[in-house]
Amino acid sequence: MTISLAVPDILVARAKSGDLEALEALYRAFETPVYNLALRVLRRPEDAEDVLQETFLEVVRSIKQYRGEGHLWGWIRQIATSKALMRIRHDRVRETEQLHEESVVGAGGGAGAGDMAGVGVIGASAGMSPGSVPAQIDLERAFERLSETSRAVVWLHDVEGYTHEEIAEQMGKTVSFSKSQLARAHVRLRRMLDEGVSQ
Amino acid sequence: MMHCTMDDLLALRAGEGSAWARQHAAGCAACRAELEALYQRVAQLKALPARRPARDRWPAVRDGVLAERRRRRGRWGVSGLAAAAALAGLLVFRPFWTKPVDAAELARVKQQSATLEQQLQRYDPDGRVTSGRSAALAAALEDRIAVIDGELAQLGPSRAQARPADLVTLWQQRVELMEQLMTVHVTRAAYVGL
Repeated sequence: MTISLAVPDILVARAKSGDLEALEALYRAFETPVYNLALRVLRRPEDAEDVLQETFLEVVRSIKQYRGEGHLWGWIRQIATSKALMRIRHDRVRETEQLHEESVVGAGGGAGAGDMAGVGVIGASAGMSPGSVPAQIDLERAFERLSETSRAVVWLHDVEGYTHEEIAEQMGKTVSFSKSQLARAHVRLRRMLDEGVSQ
Repeated sequence: MMHCTMDDLLALRAGEGSAWARQHAAGCAACRAELEALYQRVAQLKALPARRPARDRWPAVRDGVLAERRRRRGRWGVSGLAAAAALAGLLVFRPFWTKPVDAAELARVKQQSATLEQQLQRYDPDGRVTSGRSAALAAALEDRIAVIDGELAQLGPSRAQARPADLVTLWQQRVELMEQLMTVHVTRAAYVGL
């Protein structure tokens, strides 16, 4: 997913003055990356759309506080991440989802010592190239079967480039929580891919 | 044989692997393959296609923004009336605190401000469709009027008594901004000097 996120300074200045056309231009520029981040974390399109809306309402309210330090996308992404994680915290079905995930991958998905990611049975996943469409579909399905928390950690760390420290701060957890969630998620992803995620 | 765990592999990927993990991975084809699989999984995640929302949420965002601005304007109206009432009280009960020329000018600009408020109310800008640019200009002007209302409220009767010229200046500025606001709403001029 490669999207140009460069925004002219004059557009930001107009948005800061409250110009609705400039604010809409910002919305159009960042609509897709915000929606994707929320969709990958929350999975349900309607939830992702709600986060998109909440994010931009917050952007409009707070844009005067944006000082131009760092890329605008980084600032907007921080708001979007916060909104998505807030929704996870308030999501009453997350425990149900966790049970669903456990039933899919089987018990014992830990990443402790000796629970090596199945050396010898990695053929299928190790042979995939990043551009392979069937492999992407399998990975996308497997990723969707992770719990919301696991998806959030994997997406924020591996795709958005957040550090474990940043994730821990955003989630109100410890760094070791973020690290262990990432390891457990990768063990589960690998197992699902090896076992055939569509089964 | 003990192999690398996923924690070890992730640490190796981050360049933070232990000496044991680095040494083991260097000599273990299976762990190297597992590390390569990890890299590929992450590359595939990054390469997932971008999805677009099915519905356009901008109209909802815009409506929310405009509703917030209307609410804010309502609050400012109340604070503006409070400031005006306080100052009217000051004039009634302390009519001799200043030079006649200040008192006359103050009464004039206050009357002008009240007239403009009434005109704006009759025009009902909230009930009319306006362009994004006009709405933004109106919001900026309302921001500045709110700042002046705040200063008027802070000035208060005791300080106003000591600084009558400041009071007149603030009311004059308020009238100027109200006139510009009327211009934006009524004629929808593209430029009002902001």
